[in-house]
Amino acid sequence: MGLGIDLNSLIFGYLAFAMVVSSVLAVFSKNPVHTVLLVLVMVVHQAFLLLTLGSEFLMAVQLIVYAGAVLVLFLFVVYLINLRKETKHSIFVKRFCLCSLVFLLFLGFMGVNLYLIYGAKKFEQAVLPFNPLEKDNLWWIAHYLFNYYLLPFEIIGVILLVAVLGAVFLVRKVKTTEEA
Amino acid sequence: MVPFEAYLILSSVLFLIGLFGFLMRRNLIVVLVSIEIMLNAIIILFAALSYFKKDITGYVMVFFIIAMAAAEAAIGLTLAILIYKKLKTVYTDEINHYKG
Repeated sequence: MGLGIDLNSLIFGYLAFAMVVSSVLAVFSKNPVHTVLLVLVMVVHQAFLLLTLGSEFLMAVQLIVYAGAVLVLFLFVVYLINLRKETKHSIFVKRFCLCSLVFLLFLGFMGVNLYLIYGAKKFEQAVLPFNPLEKDNLWWIAHYLFNYYLLPFEIIGVILLVAVLGAVFLVRKVKTTEEA
Repeated sequence: MVPFEAYLILSSVLFLIGLFGFLMRRNLIVVLVSIEIMLNAIIILFAALSYFKKDITGYVMVFFIIAMAAAEAAIGLTLAILIYKKLKTVYTDEINHYKG
């Protein structure tokens, strides 16, 4: 390129900037509806980041599951609860000092970790290697998912079933106790 | 070509933003959304490791993380609705039912 910046870096820079800005605005926004919509923006950008990381299947899963199901669920709950805007009080908790202490502890921990990782950036031999030129990404994911990760795949199915049944069960139980 | 460190730093920044929201915000819904931001940061890290190491394990883990996040959101939002029904508030510092 003429400017000395290649297209990959440009796309990554835009996606990273949009994700960081939208998540900061989401965390600091007063209105919960705005929070959910800004996280939706972040999730869509992240789906395209997954595409640049070479996985078109995970981009589709990210868009369908996160943008299509999870955040719509959040939006339904925000409308169901009918939150007022947090204009009267601060949007942050009262025990600010304790929480910032925990946050700074994590920040320092992560800084040390990044420093250690930056020193040793050589990658070792891959455990389950794949060649993207031979077959596409979806083929490899399916191959290893159904050959090496079959039991976790079954377990995640049971977890989803239990989550759905548990949600229905919890809501039903409260309804019966309120009527009694 | 974007180096691996760029993805690592992006993932760390997003994780810290999510952690900040998780610790600091009063609204229970926003706390749950912050958990989603943290999970998204981890997804980026797994996918980037998988891409740079030519190892399929990270992609498979991303698949599991997304499925787990869906289950977590369902249960978490159910609990938020139950707390709102019972206590008429979703602000975490007003929920002091068991304080005694």
